[in-house]
Amino acid sequence: MRRLLLISGLLLSSLAFASDHNNIEAGRPLRFDDAYSIAFRERAFEFGLSLDTFRRRGPTYGNKTEFKYGLAKNQDISVAFEPTYSSSERRGDIGNVEIGYFNGLRREIDNSPALAYRVDVGLPTGRGAKGLDLRFRGIATKALGQYDKVHLNLDLNMNTNPGPGERRHTVGAVLGYSKPLGYPRRFDQTLVADFAIQQSKNEGDGFVGSVGLGLRRQVSPRTVFDIGITSDIFSTKGAERSPVRFAIGYSVSF
Amino acid sequence: MKAITLLGITAIASLGLAQDHSGHQMAGMKKQTELPAMPRDMPAWLAAPGADHLFYKAAPYNWAINRIPKFAKDMYATGVGHAMAYEALVRGEASTLETKTFDTINWVLKNQPAMPVDEGAISPTFLRKYGYLEKVFDWAHTLHFQTIDVFAHPGWTDEQKEKEIERLWAFYEAQPYAITGLPMNMDYLDSFSYSMKFRTDYPKVNGLFWGYHWLQTVNYDMLYRVPVKDQAPQYEVLGARYHETELYKTDRDFMPMTAEMSPRFAKRFPQIANAFDNLHMLHDNVNDILAQPQLTEAQKQEQVKIAIYRVLATTHISETPGESEGKENSLHDHRHPPSMPGMGWMKGSEDDIMWMSGMGWMDMSACSHCSIPMPEGNPWGATVSAEGWTMMVRCLMCARDMAGETPGRAIIRAATNDPNRLLVLISDEEGNWTSNIDGIVFLEKYGEHPECSGWSRAFTTLAALEKYVSENPEYKDTKPLNLAEWAALNHGTPDTYRKIDKPNPYKPGPPPAKGGGR
Repeated sequence: MRRLLLISGLLLSSLAFASDHNNIEAGRPLRFDDAYSIAFRERAFEFGLSLDTFRRRGPTYGNKTEFKYGLAKNQDISVAFEPTYSSSERRGDIGNVEIGYFNGLRREIDNSPALAYRVDVGLPTGRGAKGLDLRFRGIATKALGQYDKVHLNLDLNMNTNPGPGERRHTVGAVLGYSKPLGYPRRFDQTLVADFAIQQSKNEGDGFVGSVGLGLRRQVSPRTVFDIGITSDIFSTKGAERSPVRFAIGYSVSF
Repeated sequence: MKAITLLGITAIASLGLAQDHSGHQMAGMKKQTELPAMPRDMPAWLAAPGADHLFYKAAPYNWAINRIPKFAKDMYATGVGHAMAYEALVRGEASTLETKTFDTINWVLKNQPAMPVDEGAISPTFLRKYGYLEKVFDWAHTLHFQTIDVFAHPGWTDEQKEKEIERLWAFYEAQPYAITGLPMNMDYLDSFSYSMKFRTDYPKVNGLFWGYHWLQTVNYDMLYRVPVKDQAPQYEVLGARYHETELYKTDRDFMPMTAEMSPRFAKRFPQIANAFDNLHMLHDNVNDILAQPQLTEAQKQEQVKIAIYRVLATTHISETPGESEGKENSLHDHRHPPSMPGMGWMKGSEDDIMWMSGMGWMDMSACSHCSIPMPEGNPWGATVSAEGWTMMVRCLMCARDMAGETPGRAIIRAATNDPNRLLVLISDEEGNWTSNIDGIVFLEKYGEHPECSGWSRAFTTLAALEKYVSENPEYKDTKPLNLAEWAALNHGTPDTYRKIDKPNPYKPGPPPAKGGGR
């Protein structure tokens, strides 16, 4: 595994440019976005490996690759693939292809938060997938004290063709927190934490609440390394929980 | 009324005085007493709420600055200082600027980050209040870094690099945040009621800022048309000077100008040199505005917007360099020294004669050593960098003898017979020279100074020298000199040298004893 990461890193560092550890993206490594798009004309690849553990079944391994492009000022588009491997089922799934659009509406000005929204469409390319998965996310980012920031993400999810026993609409929310570490002596890493609550897709199940902690670190002017751990700390009405979820990632822009 | 005003301006200008566009009297140049008023044609983007982050031009040379690691780290550290000082100013911590903030910035300057820093992240309070200003700064800093990257990129010829610099300028200029590449009247831009406040009240931090500007401008002649392998050795000299002296100078008369620090680059890319100077002047204006305790928050916001407006390219559309008729000492005064298009109009300037801090009055059209006018075209002679300044000279003899008069280490960059091979000579404290070209040979047949660019030359090979001698038989009896033989010569100050003896326009008192005002 270490060798694989090392090789990936070497390959990427030869083709990539500047990602920013301050610009927080969902999945890298936690679930929240800040209210800022990538820069106009920026192209970025984000690579991630994840491990989800479950109480009632074996772990699932994920390998997400996302390409982003700064389409215009304050707007970006993305396409992501996340094949997974389920150890209990002993088989992989190519997963849904996700297409996203992000729009930063305003930066933080005086005491008003930065605002943005993103829309993601999951195409049913995965095993057994039907219909489109749609997600609308509203995002606000606001300073907390001098350097710390809080980020509120509100999600509305919809599946156009839910399976039997599945909800058509679900809601979720993430409260994120970011803090640069090392100021005023170093400027290359950001601590991130979040608390999320997500409604289960399964009718009859309730909500799952989770907390996460992670770090984003600038590796070079072009690249950011991230690592995070998340744990589902409660659920209602029997919703399935993942006791521990690890994520590790590497982002490059060019 | 308009005609009367115009007549008045003409009459006053003939007396060496002028009126600015707001009607206040200017004598090269008096401080205005009222705050500038908001122009009617402020660009709409200043009120746009978006963050508007822009990515740099995608290219293979990006981050080539890291090939000169010490220089790269020093450049990265410069972003930290401005951001910390602005953050302190907008958070009401001005009283700590010369103590705690200075110490914090100074620590970073001595323990530089290994990567570029996000200035906005270091100054979040400032960013929330002045996000529009950050757009201008960020975009100009991007130009700074990319132009450096082009020169530090090992894969291209000098011609390819020069073409790319032109493309980078076009890329930069296409955005509304672009600063004008026209020369501006620096005296006018420093004449507002708030001007000079920061440098007066916070000389140590202002010294750091002007020290950054020294670094950000001195590097271009270190890089321009210099082989990549010969760039880093020069930074050993310049970097030491930066850390030991330039950062801590509190007696500069004015901020360092690009053409003073990198005259070859400023001559070749005047629009970029001017844009950097205008950017640095904007920094000074903003420093002064934020440091004015009498101004309300709303007034500061308004004055910062006006300061941005003054230097934006969009404010000066259709205007041309060198033009000033009827607009002397105003916002639209684009005069420059005739021989240096990459330099705005300075306090007390007369044609090519201007005051250089630490050097005195200099004639930019003449050799700094022998006062003979510089030859036209190529080869362009040489430059000498020593004691923080860079001067253009006619020939290698002038370069060597000028460097010899100056204590400390020095760098000579000189043309050779091969237009694609620049000679870089670096001296140690004792005046021992090392060359970037093995086997460099010199021709020096001491004679009349007006002809010195003919009889004092460098050649990359002995064969090249012999070819030159065969074409110029008057040198047939002149012995070729190796580096050690050439370095041992010294003809002192030439008879042709003419001192310009005028008082410092910035400060009362006698001109400095050394330098151009010797």
